[in-house]
Amino acid sequence: MKKHPEPKQLFLDRMKELLGEKEVEVYLKILEQEPIKSIRCNTIKISAEELKKRLIEKSWKVSQPWKCNPEVMIINSDLLPGELGNALEHLLGYYYIQELASMLPLIALNPQSKEFVLDLCASPGSKTTQASALMKNSGLIIANEISLRRIKILSSNLERCDVCNAIITRKEGVAACERLKKFYPELKFDKILIDAPCSGEGTLRSTPKNYLMWNINTIKQLSGLQKKMVAAAVELLKIGGELVYSTCTHAPEENEEIVDFILRNFPDMKIQNLKLPIKSRKGITEWLGKKYLKETENSCRIYPQDNNTEGFFLAKFRRVK
Amino acid sequence: MSYLNKIKILNKEEKKQIEEKLKEQFGINEILGLLIESRTDRILLFQGNLNEKQIQKLERTLPIEKVGVYFATKIISENKIRLSIEGTQILKGQIKKNIFELNEQQAKEWMMGRELEIKTGKSDFLIMKYKDNFLGTGKASELKIGNFIPKNRRLKNQETPSI
Repeated sequence: MKKHPEPKQLFLDRMKELLGEKEVEVYLKILEQEPIKSIRCNTIKISAEELKKRLIEKSWKVSQPWKCNPEVMIINSDLLPGELGNALEHLLGYYYIQELASMLPLIALNPQSKEFVLDLCASPGSKTTQASALMKNSGLIIANEISLRRIKILSSNLERCDVCNAIITRKEGVAACERLKKFYPELKFDKILIDAPCSGEGTLRSTPKNYLMWNINTIKQLSGLQKKMVAAAVELLKIGGELVYSTCTHAPEENEEIVDFILRNFPDMKIQNLKLPIKSRKGITEWLGKKYLKETENSCRIYPQDNNTEGFFLAKFRRVK
Repeated sequence: MSYLNKIKILNKEEKKQIEEKLKEQFGINEILGLLIESRTDRILLFQGNLNEKQIQKLERTLPIEKVGVYFATKIISENKIRLSIEGTQILKGQIKKNIFELNEQQAKEWMMGRELEIKTGKSDFLIMKYKDNFLGTGKASELKIGNFIPKNRRLKNQETPSI
């Protein structure tokens, strides 16, 4: 059991509003447990079958929780601290340590070989490397990131995973989209991922400092930025192209409010139904007196207590004309 | 030769020169994709679907930090090429000579970033291999093999039963 800092009262009140008084207890309880050790096989370098065989030879207990995604593995053994990251297979880029819920946006986006993909907030690269593997290292990924410090991490992860189809750019997300529209209007994308900067409520278990940093004003500010980001990105989609919006937070201002914003302001963007390999809940249609469009229900909320993962939110859109 | 702001994309002739050196050193025939040289003599490999002109246009649009993956380093003083870990993995199907097979203990030492005190009888760059794993390039001299494993890719000195 892990001991975390005390959550702020307003955060607890909001979670009670979302989950109900009783379920919040279950939610808080699961946050005290150690996260499960999940990895994603980097199929650019090795097959899932071969990696599994190698890990079993190391006496690791390996399971593949999702039938349609054999590359996703859980390590059920007790490992030494840091052993997962210090294994030869990790150092050689045969797998990426990635939380299960964080794998969902790319499973939803499902980029194909030779497609053009924009990953607008790419660091640390878990989803960029996942995209590249799905695309068989072909096509193009523009992996954009604003922070130089985070670009170093991104670059190192893309290198370790042998991502040869990506170009890393450094620009604030909205500005990056605006410049692409203005100076490179013929460059359009089949798929766009906006894994938006967020308040991180879903990652409290792995990043306990988020308990201390949580602040309602930050949520409001982020919500504004997220709206600007999606508004700037929509026009970069090809007709028929798809966009996944995701966050690792539960705050509706950063989730359904953004989905509602897209649906109201961009009628060519239609929200899609998602089939995910884990339990998810519908998006909400009302929050603190604010009503969202009925279609926001097609968004997916992932709560830690449902699958023993981090908390997540995602929604997928198609540009129909 | 195309000079971009920070990077230059090698033209056909320059790429051919790299390929010829790799053929001479390791028996490699062909590199698929664009080669890009950074200021530090590092060579990057890009296999995405953008051509040289499109990359240049992108660079005029957004600040580019990196194109593709670090693949090799030009050792100008010796007129040779040293492949990175990924370089050896990408080209593993073509590497035919100057391969040094490591045993488990040597591979562990190698991945910790240590020089290997081994007399190879060679004074050249060698591809380091352990079982099916390609572990980058070492520089053999009379008594040892010099190590270039970057810090962030090294095994920590952890008591693990095996690698």
